[in-house]
Amino acid sequence: MCIAVPGEIIDILSTQARVTIMGVEAMVNIQLIENPKIGEYVLIHAGCAIEKINKDCFDDLFDIFNSIADEDGNKHG
Amino acid sequence: MDKHMIRRLIDEINLLATEEIKIMEVCGTHTQMISKLGLRSLLSSNIKLLSGPGCPVCVSEESYIDNAIEILNKYNLSIATFGDMMRVRGTKESLIEEKSKGKDVRIIYSPLDLVDMAEKNKDKNIVFLGVGFETTAPVIALAIKTAAERKIKNLFFFTSIKLMPPILHYIMKQPDNKISGLICPGNVAAVAGSDYFRFIADEYGISAAVCGFEAEDLLIGIHHLVKQIMQNEKKDLKNSYRRCVTPQGNPSANKLIKDVFEVSHGGWRGIGTVENSSLYINEQYKNFDALHIFTVENRTAEIKTNCECKDVLLGNKTPKECKFFDKFCNPIKAYGPCMVSAEGSCSIAYRYREEI
Repeated sequence: MCIAVPGEIIDILSTQARVTIMGVEAMVNIQLIENPKIGEYVLIHAGCAIEKINKDCFDDLFDIFNSIADEDGNKHG
Repeated sequence: MDKHMIRRLIDEINLLATEEIKIMEVCGTHTQMISKLGLRSLLSSNIKLLSGPGCPVCVSEESYIDNAIEILNKYNLSIATFGDMMRVRGTKESLIEEKSKGKDVRIIYSPLDLVDMAEKNKDKNIVFLGVGFETTAPVIALAIKTAAERKIKNLFFFTSIKLMPPILHYIMKQPDNKISGLICPGNVAAVAGSDYFRFIADEYGISAAVCGFEAEDLLIGIHHLVKQIMQNEKKDLKNSYRRCVTPQGNPSANKLIKDVFEVSHGGWRGIGTVENSSLYINEQYKNFDALHIFTVENRTAEIKTNCECKDVLLGNKTPKECKFFDKFCNPIKAYGPCMVSAEGSCSIAYRYREEI
């Protein structure tokens, strides 16, 4: 029930934004987001953006993975 | 999804897991994803992934449904709720059974939609059944605040909003708890912040990881837990969902929760009362509180069953160890709370036919 999905803001209309969620357009409330901008990604739950998604951290998982792999390489190397 | 990365992580985790480790996830969406991805079948049998009380639908008490049905029938109004709540039974009936009798029960996607609906239908009272954890609380709070600002007089909220830390304290304090790692709910942390879960390591010396919902998110979190446990490292909290979770969470959402709700004791289906574990509408917004406006008879009905869901919710038993599982408790006719929702651990175990 607590599922949230990522969406990209493509238009802002006062307290709402038009977003694309996996290619589907929808309107979501953006009142919980500070300074939302077109092109930004948000996490959407129950029709409301609950947090911005930090694009700089998109590659975060790969960075974490690489650190694990490096650590493992050093351990076994 | 990077197959190489996933394979490597699984191999690493399995290499590390030389002894049995119990790891609990406390989010229904995590429970669902772990089964959907088949992670149990890929990870070492030494890693026992247990499901905690993280499905808000499952832990809403029988009396909550009973009271909602009582309000529906006594006051001839509309009940609106999330779809997951429709099949959840109270002591006698569910909302879907009421709808089948012609009662006005509606499924909605967002409580915010109800503000417009109430404004357009001023002659009809609407009660929203608002269940959820910290993820959903700011959305319900925003709906209440918006209704107040727009001076809506025919929309009311009957809430059952639970908080994560009190139930985690409750689990950690169980004398026979053998949980050595916790996968923390990413979407709760998106609102509340990763620091919200730091107490798990600081107070109980248990490794914790805030995880997202992709295979990589979960496996990186599990890798962190297994490594800390097996190598006896200092236990800490790892945030492996940094793209959505900051240490402090969303300040606007947290302020809104504080503005609209107050914390008090809450009842958890199958478990009982847990201190300071629920959010209730505060004095300022009491005119939107359905329990302030409508009278119900059995608000705190104590239900006694032989259900073993408490042990399942607390990680003491797996769904298949419950004597009712797949006998007379199944998703079509659920007996216990873990079977009622699509994100309940028993319902997931039934659907995916795997040991949870």
